[in-house]
Amino acid sequence: MFSPRRALALILGAALLAGCDNDPNPAPLHKTRPDGSPWLARYSGLPEDPRSFDPQYMYDSVTRRVMELVYDTLLEYHPMKTDPYEVRPALLEEMPQKEVSTDGKVSYLCRLKTTARFHDDPCFPGGKGRQVRAEDVHYAFLRMLDPKVESPFLSVFADFIEGMTELQEKVKKNQETLDYSWRLPGVEVVDERTFRLHLTKPYPLAIYWLAMHCSTPVAREAVEYYDGKSHDGKVRGDFHAFSAVGTGPFRIAEYVPRQRVRLERVEGYATTTFPTDGFPPEKAEWLQQFAGKPLPLVDEINMPILRETIPVFILTRQGYLDGMAVNKDAFAAMMSGTQLAPKYRERGMTLELAVEPATFWMSFNMEDPVLGKNKKLRQALSCSYDNKTYSNIFYSGVAPTAEQILPPGTVGFDPKWKNPWGYNLEKAKQLLREAGYPDGRNATTGEQLELRFTTVASGGEDRQRAEFEQNCFEALGIKVRVEELTFARLMDKLNRSDFQLASGSGWSADYPDPENFFALFYSKNMPPNGSNHCHYNRPDFDALYEKMAIMENGPERDAIIKQMNEMLADDCPMILGFIKAYYTAVQPWAPPTHHNLMLEGGMKYLTVDPVLREQKRAEWNRKPMWPIAILVCALAGGSLYARRWNRRLNA
Amino acid sequence: MLSYIIRRLLYAVPILLGVIVITFVLFRMVQSPEAIATIKLGPKASRLAKDEFIKSEGLDRPMPEQLVKHIKRLATFNFGTSWKTGRSLSDTFLTGAGPSLLITLPGFLAGLVASVGLALYQVFVRNSLLDRSLTFFAVALMSIPAVVYIIFLQAVGALALKYFPAAGFNYEGFGTFRFIALPILIFLVLNLGYDARLYRAIFLEEIQQDYVRTALAKGVGNVRVLGTHVLKNGMISLITLTVAELPKLIMGSLLIENFFSIPGLGNVLVLAIQTSDLPVILASVYLGSLAYIFSLILTDVAYALADPRIRLS
Repeated sequence: MFSPRRALALILGAALLAGCDNDPNPAPLHKTRPDGSPWLARYSGLPEDPRSFDPQYMYDSVTRRVMELVYDTLLEYHPMKTDPYEVRPALLEEMPQKEVSTDGKVSYLCRLKTTARFHDDPCFPGGKGRQVRAEDVHYAFLRMLDPKVESPFLSVFADFIEGMTELQEKVKKNQETLDYSWRLPGVEVVDERTFRLHLTKPYPLAIYWLAMHCSTPVAREAVEYYDGKSHDGKVRGDFHAFSAVGTGPFRIAEYVPRQRVRLERVEGYATTTFPTDGFPPEKAEWLQQFAGKPLPLVDEINMPILRETIPVFILTRQGYLDGMAVNKDAFAAMMSGTQLAPKYRERGMTLELAVEPATFWMSFNMEDPVLGKNKKLRQALSCSYDNKTYSNIFYSGVAPTAEQILPPGTVGFDPKWKNPWGYNLEKAKQLLREAGYPDGRNATTGEQLELRFTTVASGGEDRQRAEFEQNCFEALGIKVRVEELTFARLMDKLNRSDFQLASGSGWSADYPDPENFFALFYSKNMPPNGSNHCHYNRPDFDALYEKMAIMENGPERDAIIKQMNEMLADDCPMILGFIKAYYTAVQPWAPPTHHNLMLEGGMKYLTVDPVLREQKRAEWNRKPMWPIAILVCALAGGSLYARRWNRRLNA
Repeated sequence: MLSYIIRRLLYAVPILLGVIVITFVLFRMVQSPEAIATIKLGPKASRLAKDEFIKSEGLDRPMPEQLVKHIKRLATFNFGTSWKTGRSLSDTFLTGAGPSLLITLPGFLAGLVASVGLALYQVFVRNSLLDRSLTFFAVALMSIPAVVYIIFLQAVGALALKYFPAAGFNYEGFGTFRFIALPILIFLVLNLGYDARLYRAIFLEEIQQDYVRTALAKGVGNVRVLGTHVLKNGMISLITLTVAELPKLIMGSLLIENFFSIPGLGNVLVLAIQTSDLPVILASVYLGSLAYIFSLILTDVAYALADPRIRLS
């Protein structure tokens, strides 16, 4: 039973346990930089695995968070300028120069920086990375046409880049195979560093494409070397999967699926520097110290893959992550009203509000015989939806209500604009009467109006959301039947126009222009061609859309944007919900330098104070010994009880 | 015995075929090719990209043709790639089995020792206040949902006591233990209540047997009677119960791996379910049923080996 030797072993075991390091992060790649200064590492969780490191293929936000640090784009979003968002040169020396030919055709002349280089890699002769050439840009655009790459950007680019549609047809005729000796007329290589982008029609928004990773130059040597076959006596990975040879400030030091991604700074990187303008006034003085500095500011980025929110909260509390989004699970523990709870403020943590250029809404089916033809009914339903309370319940009041389809930061966004069909129950009842359904009943037949509300149901919270929305609508006296589906099934129904009213619609800006949002109401973008899930079809809206899409920014365009907003407001093809926003809790050693959420690769601008971090980690992770004493006492007590019991049995 | 095993293996073929057909039809009935393309390519994917995916995956072919192709692929263990991660499934399963087993195997063995120990202890102090208290404790353990244990023990072990990392995994020799210690403990606790109750019942039945009375009459001590005679005779029932648990060990522990970011098979399966990653789900169901069938055969064999009175024919 319980002997002193066993007790000692138990105590030693427990002490060993208590001595366990609770830091899950691997040791940094180095302790110091080559010049002897401290090695700076950042720790930031990823909610899931990246899907591929192929810039012409992947586009989800998690993958971009890694890839945009590895591949520089031709242009990039200015980290400080978010109202409205602005792009600046990255791999390009200066902003593209617009050229208009005598026949009205538009081209953009672009020149690559001399400092733009591919990372050192065995795919290059001698393992030494080379300068980025205009030919690499042509190759990247050509790759989008390769059926093996499955580029989701092809259909977007094909309409605008000269010769892309023709080449696409040629690929189809060539047994779905692209011959890389073919030339794409839309990307003219002028000289080693210069190229010209020829458009089929004027499209000023093409500038934003150059800030997307799909147009980033790719080295042909890398694609051919990383083909999954043996090169230099070693089986190499697949470029289309997880082998990257980038041009950005970091290289991938390690990617262990379902565990972590680790990035290491590229020695000698000199393509981009910290901006010297656009600093927000409240931080300008502090940011001035970084102005014009070489990037990145840190040497290593550790991204543990953490799918659950509770470990993220614990690791942040212990100082093993440099910050976290204050999600709903952590809100009650970390927040006190709109401020961080005192105990976190005492730790030196700060709170930052991040507003994403993304809007969420519910879609009416404009082809539905009941809702599509009854504007007043749609307006009534919109007025019955309390999106403020919805945000309070499900987003702790952080997400602002959407007053228009455009999110803040987009060109033409009017902060004073108010949704005319915002929550007002009395107005909703009045509109319902005018729609022919007094108190929710058909004025002619007396039958109660019944609507089908299609929604996503992937968990308990989705059901709570659906119940809230159902209650809002049923406050009008109508009957709402909820149809719960998986997201994929919901999309299927939206595409097939098999719904009346559906939740789950939203759009995160691909580029910060209203065209990207108004496209969702353009009749030629109805499924299956696009995402006009409301099946909204208004010829004068379409005409304005076609006009504004190819206009340069200016007062005339602003007037059209306003007019289009008015049309959408009047027709009410959707019920506006909220703008995506969340708080991030930031550690005292890792103050953020910017809040630009168009920039997934923004970590190159971030800094860290490693001394303060070590000090705080040690302070926050002292292990108590009393539980071990209790455990030992409990086991000893149980053993003594058994001994006494044994004596009684033998007595 | 050999003919018995061969017959059982042959019986497994229609069972496996049934599992494959049912899961395939069920999942394909609820997901149209269009919905599958949306899962794979995302909601913003263009019509063209979706069409190309549907064509390349053969989702536009008649259902029986797709089913035959699917059966052929599973039979040859060619699972294809995940729609979500783009990684080869064979590679995913192989790399995931290690971390899963690192948790489930020690958790299972430690759990077995703990529950057998607790059951024997309860039998030893049977009918005492302590025995009743422990029974109450075991019933309480059985009644609490697994996710509550995980969150509670993660909060205690990682957040309050700071003895273990809250999440993460890394192969670093003995250092790996710090990542798996808390998940193992939780795995142990999850099954402790149920197993201890069950084993207590088995040992109580044994302790009323004549041979126990004989041993006691001959002057053998209570501890020795329990530790050798009762335990050995109770082992036959234990084998039956424990071998049937083996497939669960291989497939990992879904919730624990997910909460602790352990890159095991459970983690793979949870992500696949959350994202409707059909190839992973279908391959996991297939491998799971395969493991279950083999473990049942193994149970019969182990039973026959442990008890000479049993003949397999």
